Amino acid sequence: MNSDLRMQTDTSSNLDYCSLISEAKHAGADPTLAEIRIALLGDAATQQFVPLLKALLRRAGFNAVVYEGPFAGIELEVYDAESPLYRFRPDCVALLNASQALRIQYYARSGTAAEFLHGTVERMERIWSAIQARSTALILQSNFVLPLERLFGNYDHKVADSLYSVTAALNTQIAERSRSHAGVVVNDIEAVASWVGRRTWFDERLWFLAKTFCALDHLPLAAQNMVQIVLANRGRVVKCVILDLDNTLWGGVIGDDGVNGIKLSSHGDGEPFHLLQSFLRELSRRGILLAVCSKNDSNNAMEPFLNHPEMVLKLEHIAAFVANWDDKAQNIRRIRETLNIGFDSMVFLDDNPFERNLVRELLPGVVVPELPEDPSEYLAAIASLNLFETASFSAEDLKRTEMYRVEAERRQEQSSYATVEEFLNSLDMRITVEPWDDFHLPRVAQLIQRSNQFNLTTRRLSETQCRAMMQDATGWLPIYAKLTDRLGDHGLISVVACEVIGSDLAIRDWLMSCRVLARTVEQFLMAHVFDCARRLGLSRVTGEYVPTAKNAMVRDFFAQFGFQTISEESNGRTLWALSLEKFQPPATYIRQTQHADLAAIGS
Amino acid sequence: MTTQINSEQIKTELTGIFRKIFDDPLLTLRDDMTAAEVEGWDSLSHITLIVSIERSFRIKLTLAEIQRLHDVGQLIRLIHQKVQ
Repeated sequence: MNSDLRMQTDTSSNLDYCSLISEAKHAGADPTLAEIRIALLGDAATQQFVPLLKALLRRAGFNAVVYEGPFAGIELEVYDAESPLYRFRPDCVALLNASQALRIQYYARSGTAAEFLHGTVERMERIWSAIQARSTALILQSNFVLPLERLFGNYDHKVADSLYSVTAALNTQIAERSRSHAGVVVNDIEAVASWVGRRTWFDERLWFLAKTFCALDHLPLAAQNMVQIVLANRGRVVKCVILDLDNTLWGGVIGDDGVNGIKLSSHGDGEPFHLLQSFLRELSRRGILLAVCSKNDSNNAMEPFLNHPEMVLKLEHIAAFVANWDDKAQNIRRIRETLNIGFDSMVFLDDNPFERNLVRELLPGVVVPELPEDPSEYLAAIASLNLFETASFSAEDLKRTEMYRVEAERRQEQSSYATVEEFLNSLDMRITVEPWDDFHLPRVAQLIQRSNQFNLTTRRLSETQCRAMMQDATGWLPIYAKLTDRLGDHGLISVVACEVIGSDLAIRDWLMSCRVLARTVEQFLMAHVFDCARRLGLSRVTGEYVPTAKNAMVRDFFAQFGFQTISEESNGRTLWALSLEKFQPPATYIRQTQHADLAAIGS
Repeated sequence: MTTQINSEQIKTELTGIFRKIFDDPLLTLRDDMTAAEVEGWDSLSHITLIVSIERSFRIKLTLAEIQRLHDVGQLIRLIHQKVQ
C-alpha cells in the first residue's frame, strides 16, 4: 500500500498527467506482479484512463490489464452474456458517467424532470444487476459532478426540476441504491471535483473535442480515486493510526506545561487539537485502531487522558499506549507486536519532522504524511490524502478497539499462569462453526480482504464472489468460526473454504485474525475439516500455501498437521495432502457451541 | 512582451514538446507535417499536445482554433499569433 499512499503525500509532482502517461509507456510487463483486470465502460472517453490506471496501479505493485468498452455502449455490453466485457473476465467494472452526457440527456428529455431522474437511476440499477448476473466483478459506479450552470441561481434548490437539483438528487439516489447492492461502490467523482474546484475541473473544450470528462490536469486524481477503491478491495487498508502527543494531539509539552498548561480547549488556541481528536475518535469508532507513541514519561503522557476535562480521546479509545524515551521506530515495532498488524497498515502522525523522517527511514512500510507547521491545518492535510478508504464496514468494526483492549487483559493474565496450557484451559473458549450465510457474509468478505499474515492463499474474494461460493451447494464447503471466552467475545475470526475435487477435500482458503493466534483455533478447525471429509466419504484432504511478503507465519501450517508436500512450484507455491486415516487430531483447548450444518454440501 | 519570440524559437520549443509526447528524440517538425505522418498522433495524444502547448507558451486556444488546425505550419502560426 505504501507506494500508493506515499504517492498521495506528495501529490503535485507524482500526479502529473504527462509524467504518468510516460511512466505507463515505459513500465515493461512484470509477470511477478499480481494482476488486476479493470473494464472501463462509459459515456465519456475512457482512453486516457488506461495509462493512468496502469501507472498508478504499477506504483502500488500491481499489473493492471484494462479493457475499454465501446464509447457510450454500456448497455450493449452488459446485457449480452457473450460480449467482450464478460470474455475479458474483469475483476472490476468501472462505470464512468459524465455529467456532460447527463446534461445532454436532461436537455433532450421528453417527460418531466422527475421522470428523467427516476428513469436515469433505474437504468443504472438495471445495469448493475445485469453485470452481477453475469460476473462477480466489483462495480465502481461514478456519481455526477454538479453542473456549473444554475438555472435559478440559489433558487435551484427550491425547484426540484432544475438540472442542478436533478444532479444532486441523482447522487443521493445512487448512494442509497448502492447500499442494497453488495459489490457496487460509489466512485465519488463529485468529491474529487469539488476538492479541486469545479470551475477548474471542467474543460468544456476537451469534452467537445474528445468527450474527455475533465481537464487533463485532474484526470490523474480521478484515476487515483478509482485506484484507491480497487486497492482497498485488495486489502490495502489502514488499520491503525499511531499518534504523537505533544504538539500533535494537544498544544504544548505536557512534561513542561503540565495538565493545566497544555492547549486543548474547544475554543481559542486549543481548538485545532480538539477538532483533530474528535476526528480521530470517529475513526476509532469506525474500527481504526489508535495507538500512542510518545517520547515522554509514561505517567505524564497518561495524565491528560485521565484528568483533562477537554480531552476528547480517552484511554478506552487507545489500543496501545507507548510512552518512554526510546526511539520511535523501536516503539512502533512494539506497537506492531501488540496489535499484530503489518507496518503497511499503519499511519504515523507526528508534528516533528525529525521523527517523521526517522520512521520513514527505518520503517519504510509505515505511511507518514507530511504535517503542515500550523496545527490548524493538520486535519485538512490528513483529510486531503483519503487515507482511510475501505471496502467494507461491519458490526465487528464497532467493537474492534474494545476487542484489542480485552486482548491486552488476556495477555496480562496469561503471565500469572505457570503454563500456556493452563492459561488456555482457564479461558473456557467456545467456538461456533457454521457455513457462510447472508448475515455473516459482509464480515466474511471483510476478513478475506483484511487478513495478511495468517492467510494461506491470500485470494481476495469480493463479497459477490463469496456469495457465489456460498450458493454453489454442490462443490463448496465454506465455513466461518466465531470465538468467545470468559473475558469477552472475539467475534468472527476465521474463514475456511474447501472444495470437493473427486475424492479430495481441497482447502482453497484458510485465514484467521491474528488476534486469536496461539489459541488452538486452527487445530480445532483442522479436526473439523477432516470430520467433514469423513462424513462426505472422501479419502484425503489437500491444501495449498501461496507465499506472500506477509504470510511467512503459516509456511509450515500443513506440515504441523502431518501433511506431505505433493508439489512445489518455482514461485514458492506448495501443494499438500494428507489421507484421512493418517490424520491425528491435534490438541485443542476449545469446545464447540453448536454443530456445523453440513446441509450446504452433498445435498 | 519584453522579448519577441519568433517562429524559429516556437518551432524549437514545439519540437521539444512533440519529442516528449511522441517519445521520439529524433522527431523533426516540417510545416506541412500532419497527424497522419506522426506515429501515435491520435485524438488522445492530440489533446495532450494541445494542453502541453498551452502550458508551455502560456496561451489558451479556443475550440474553433483547435478544430481548424491541419498541419504543423498552421499550429506554429497560431501560437505565434497568440503569444504576441
